[in-house]
Amino acid sequence: MQLSGLRYGSKLLQLVEFPVAEFIDGSATNQEIQQFLEKHKKLVVKPAFNGGVGKKGKAGLVRVVKTVQEALLAKRELFFAQHTYGNKVVTANGVTMEAFVPSDLEVYFSISSSSARRGPVFTITPWGGVDIEDLPPEKKAVVEIDPFTGINAFEITNALTDTGCPEAFISALVQHLPKLWDLYDGYGLTTIELNPIRVMRQGNQILPVACDVKASFDQDNPAWKRIGLPDGLFQTETTPFELDINELRTYQGQSDVLEMNPNGSILPFMFGGGANSAGTETLGEAAIFSSDFGGNPPYEKIYEISRIVFEHWYKQADMLLLIGGKANNTDIYVTFKGVFDALRDHVAKAGWKPLYVVIGRGGPNVVKGMFYAKDILDRLRLPYQMFGHDTSMILTLERAQKIDRWWGAEGAAAYRKLIETQGRA
Amino acid sequence: MRRLTTRPFPYYVGLHSLEELVTKQNRVCVMNILGSESRKVTPVSHEYSGGNVVAGVQYGRRGVLETKLGDIPVYRSIREVMEKGIVFDMGVVYIPPTGVCKAVSELVTHNEALKRIVIVTEKVPARDSRNIRALCQEAGVDVIGANCLGMANAWDRVRIGGSLGGDHPEETLAKGSIAIHSNSGNFTTTMAEYLRTAGFGISTAVSSGKDVYIHFALPEFLYAAQNDPRTKAVVIYVEPGGYYEKQALDWIKDRTFGFTKPIIACVTGRWKKNITRACGHAGALSGSGDDAEAKEKWFDEYFGVEVFDPKDPKVSKRGVRVSSIQYIPDAVRAVYEKIDELPDFETTGDLSLKLWLGDSLVKLPKDLYLPLSQPPVPYDHQIIEVNKLVGAHYLRQNMANKSGATRMNRKSHVAELHGKSVLELSEYTMEENLHFALAKVMPDKHDLPTLNLILNLFMKIDERRMELIDVARANGCTPNAYLASQIALVGDKDLLSKSRTHSQFIIDLIREFGLNESTQAFPAELDEYVVQHLLTAEPSRKTDISDLLFKEVKRSKKSCVALKVCQHIIDLAATRNLEIRDTYEFLLATIAVCVLWNPMLEKRISRQLVENAVTYFYLMSRIVAYSVVDRAHNPHWKKLVDQKLSNLNHSFTENAFKVLFARVPTPSDLLEFQTLVGLTITNGPGTLSAKGAKESVSARNDISMAFVGFLANTGRAHGGNGYDAITYLAEQFKDVALADPGDPNHGVDLKQLAVRAAKAYGTLKHQMREVDEPLMKPIPCINHPVFRGNHINVDPREEFVAGVMKERGVYNAFWEFYHLLAQALYDEGVTKNVFCVNVDAVLAVITLKLVWKDLQSGRLSLHQVQDLAFTLFLFGRTIGTAAEIADHRDRGVDMDCRTPESELSYVL
Repeated sequence: MQLSGLRYGSKLLQLVEFPVAEFIDGSATNQEIQQFLEKHKKLVVKPAFNGGVGKKGKAGLVRVVKTVQEALLAKRELFFAQHTYGNKVVTANGVTMEAFVPSDLEVYFSISSSSARRGPVFTITPWGGVDIEDLPPEKKAVVEIDPFTGINAFEITNALTDTGCPEAFISALVQHLPKLWDLYDGYGLTTIELNPIRVMRQGNQILPVACDVKASFDQDNPAWKRIGLPDGLFQTETTPFELDINELRTYQGQSDVLEMNPNGSILPFMFGGGANSAGTETLGEAAIFSSDFGGNPPYEKIYEISRIVFEHWYKQADMLLLIGGKANNTDIYVTFKGVFDALRDHVAKAGWKPLYVVIGRGGPNVVKGMFYAKDILDRLRLPYQMFGHDTSMILTLERAQKIDRWWGAEGAAAYRKLIETQGRA
Repeated sequence: MRRLTTRPFPYYVGLHSLEELVTKQNRVCVMNILGSESRKVTPVSHEYSGGNVVAGVQYGRRGVLETKLGDIPVYRSIREVMEKGIVFDMGVVYIPPTGVCKAVSELVTHNEALKRIVIVTEKVPARDSRNIRALCQEAGVDVIGANCLGMANAWDRVRIGGSLGGDHPEETLAKGSIAIHSNSGNFTTTMAEYLRTAGFGISTAVSSGKDVYIHFALPEFLYAAQNDPRTKAVVIYVEPGGYYEKQALDWIKDRTFGFTKPIIACVTGRWKKNITRACGHAGALSGSGDDAEAKEKWFDEYFGVEVFDPKDPKVSKRGVRVSSIQYIPDAVRAVYEKIDELPDFETTGDLSLKLWLGDSLVKLPKDLYLPLSQPPVPYDHQIIEVNKLVGAHYLRQNMANKSGATRMNRKSHVAELHGKSVLELSEYTMEENLHFALAKVMPDKHDLPTLNLILNLFMKIDERRMELIDVARANGCTPNAYLASQIALVGDKDLLSKSRTHSQFIIDLIREFGLNESTQAFPAELDEYVVQHLLTAEPSRKTDISDLLFKEVKRSKKSCVALKVCQHIIDLAATRNLEIRDTYEFLLATIAVCVLWNPMLEKRISRQLVENAVTYFYLMSRIVAYSVVDRAHNPHWKKLVDQKLSNLNHSFTENAFKVLFARVPTPSDLLEFQTLVGLTITNGPGTLSAKGAKESVSARNDISMAFVGFLANTGRAHGGNGYDAITYLAEQFKDVALADPGDPNHGVDLKQLAVRAAKAYGTLKHQMREVDEPLMKPIPCINHPVFRGNHINVDPREEFVAGVMKERGVYNAFWEFYHLLAQALYDEGVTKNVFCVNVDAVLAVITLKLVWKDLQSGRLSLHQVQDLAFTLFLFGRTIGTAAEIADHRDRGVDMDCRTPESELSYVL
């Protein structure tokens, strides 16, 4: 759950009255652009991306324009701009045209969770507008934050002094930057990054103005819902399958999914965070999704999860895989009953298909659970292999992959033919 | 910021050695001890640890948590625990995420002796986690978690926190020389299990959790492991996100603390760098510098060797990284060789592929072939035992006001049985619906003749029984009363109990001898078993009926292992010149088991239900047979109930029609009849009838008495609106020459009739208003509390049935009248919109149509028609009740329908 840019970032900053560069979006008329240009002389046109997307400047996706024609040209070029960020290619969804803020100083400021310091920290440099990682240590300061007192003015002063900030600007920054802690702490953020904050002169006053924002939110803290961001903003990160499963999400977990490859062949029910990590890695492209259904889900919940999984993927999948280590607390029988009752009911509704089932699991009631699965699979005439906790989970995963490849290539078709012939007989 | 620090760390760490982390001397208080997870896990931890949980807290409640070592007292708050003088130094938190921070605050505020807190709860917000850190650092308390399974000391057999090692920690957590630190709770146990297999035990295991903040992280763990004389090596499982590992390794390198023991590290999650949202562990999200590849590099540089290759095992004295947890035992072995140490004990196996269960359907290619393996103790015995189990299993629970069979669909307001609406059910016959009520699937076509045979067979009654019913009628009993009196006398008669015993025998035989559909020949041991337990030299009682059943079973071609076995038993008896004990009941059991065999194998229904199937069939038939309204003038009934073998192959629905209406039904009669029965099958588990049955089950009655409970809980109120409608319609059509309400060319001006009725009602309503009489009785079956408010209103259930009838060309003058009346009421200004004709009207118009000629001719009185309509309702509801009783018997517990004292009130 991330956002970037001023379109929604400005909403965040307005909550704590942090000054933001004025902007208009791609829907502005020529007349509005003209008026905006007359007021600010220059505009900065940027593509608007959903999610947390940075390094737009480096990728040449930021234009400074002085005329309506230039603005329109930039808008045309950037409206659906594609940008490779990390390992992902993202496509813009419109543009923002931001007032150019004349300034003598660009500041980088962020608040994040630091594993090294075991708590929140702010990072600041008066040499902003560039990648923070590119700056030498003496030009940036990382300061721990006491979560109960927040950011103190003296900490900002000291940090800016240590990193060579001209004295004239410090006071204005000290006045505004501590507010960001209230935003961070009060609205469920895990990171907020303002880069650059351009410090402008307004008559006798000096004012820091945020010209770009990146923020990420804690999905376990509902406080972000109070911000009033549009409902669908984070749904774009969620597929219809994930959306359906997320409806079942409770504090006990038990229903975490992430769609990996909608063209994959394996439906992996993974139990536990470890199995999720190791399983997804081993299965690679073959896994339709990554999941963690561990934590001893009750029957109703695992049935519902399974129903949704089959509803979305039964048609696509060649293999159903249930994988986990030796469970501590999860009742394997209850889990398997939910999964295989749902499979039985879905097959009755959607029709039979050759689906291979592989299970690797240990824990309370594992034998009872396996036999429950066996009885249903025998009735459904679906092939299966089941391994206990005395087999390495990774070996089971690797074997599932091998069977899946053979099954997809030839096994399934041959078996379908055999079943159909028997049926006719 | 001023803070508490303990050397060598820039923060507080409250232990020097892993030995101190979790000890026999620690005393524990569990927050939310009676929560669903803690209630199961805490007693196991307590018993494994020799009784270390001294108190629990459940907000707002006092009580105890029972364990084998005695009860753990439960208090309402930590303050109360302290006031009782209970001393503890460890807190375990199971509170839901939003309350975790406050619970920690409560623990550290009230207990100065507190040393550590384990937070098991998942999905604690990062904000709360940093506040917890700050609180506990200030108070000098170590935190393990959140989102973890706590910690265990295998040397002293102590476990604090969650469920490390599962329900039997002593099996997995063997005493040894390896300390485990794992980001995954499940992998903590799984790695311990893998190590045990390879001959290595555990000193202390810590499930650290993998939230954004790990409070007991690798630096302090390694520091404590170094100072622990029991630990010779450390196994760690690491996921992406966070710089804890780098910090630990950097501090070892720069000698912040000394560390000389080898580490075997498994890093997974390369794929996670592509995701922006957590799946599984909340903290397993990485930035650019702390993804899995970066972490692998940190370790590889520290170890000075490449990732472990089991074919060419190179390790250093500092240890090695493994690419997956399956290589941990080999890597530990190699590292131990390098440092001249021996495993802790003999190996007990390996982690190679061991197939516990596999199908016999698909032939895998040679390179994928794998034979079945014998699972280890105790799983090998479990497999033998569990394999004998068959059918669905349900968790026992309180079933008051609950049902696994019926429900009211909140969207459509139509009741459902096993997920099918009564509208759908109204398109099936009685026998199909009874099968569905029990089996949860509609019967196969080839099962229907057998089903009809057995149902019709049970209609054969001793006519003398009817004399009691005559007395009851003369005394003014309603149909439910005299039916209940007969059904109560059924009890668990020999026929039913012996059939059940035979059903049990057949199922046991199949599971004990591992028979299935593909079984071609039966083992000799089976024959001997059957001879010994089922066959007898004594001659069996033979009747025409038992001969008929015998032939039915012998000639059946159904592909079902139960049938094959029973046919084999019949042949075996003939070969050995012996008789089957209680042949008739054996044959009934055979038929019942065969009919329900597949749904049982598909785990749709329980074994118990199959064993009792004969009882359900029997009771359904008897209720129909005893329902005759005027037996003296019903020759069809006489034929149905006598001891001759007539009518047995007819549809049971057709026979039920004959019992009630004393005539052979036309196809449209039959359609209307089954529609009526289908519509009344259920109205959800909250109905009086369902409650009556469920309460009787809850009192542990026989099935027959549960049916009595249902019958006793029906009465004149049932379908009241429908019966009022019959009276109303009879009155409206009193002077009308309507010969056949099923003939669309009846020649009656229904519109005029409707306008007349509407005007009359309008006038009456006006008069009532003038005298200020608020209790004006509405026209029955017009309007519905849910389906109203539109300009033209429709009850979708009524619309559905009307559609079915129209499609089949079935006409009903009363029905048409009702629609014209709803319109006329609006046209005449009596109603402000066009009211709907509700589904009760369907019951009324169909019933009236079916009896119209008899009513006109005087063969039936209006009172008898009302009885008949009531009985018809009972037929439908008997089917639904069978499902309700079976469901409650499967899931319920004794006395679960009692109302708690706290919910009762005394009314003056």
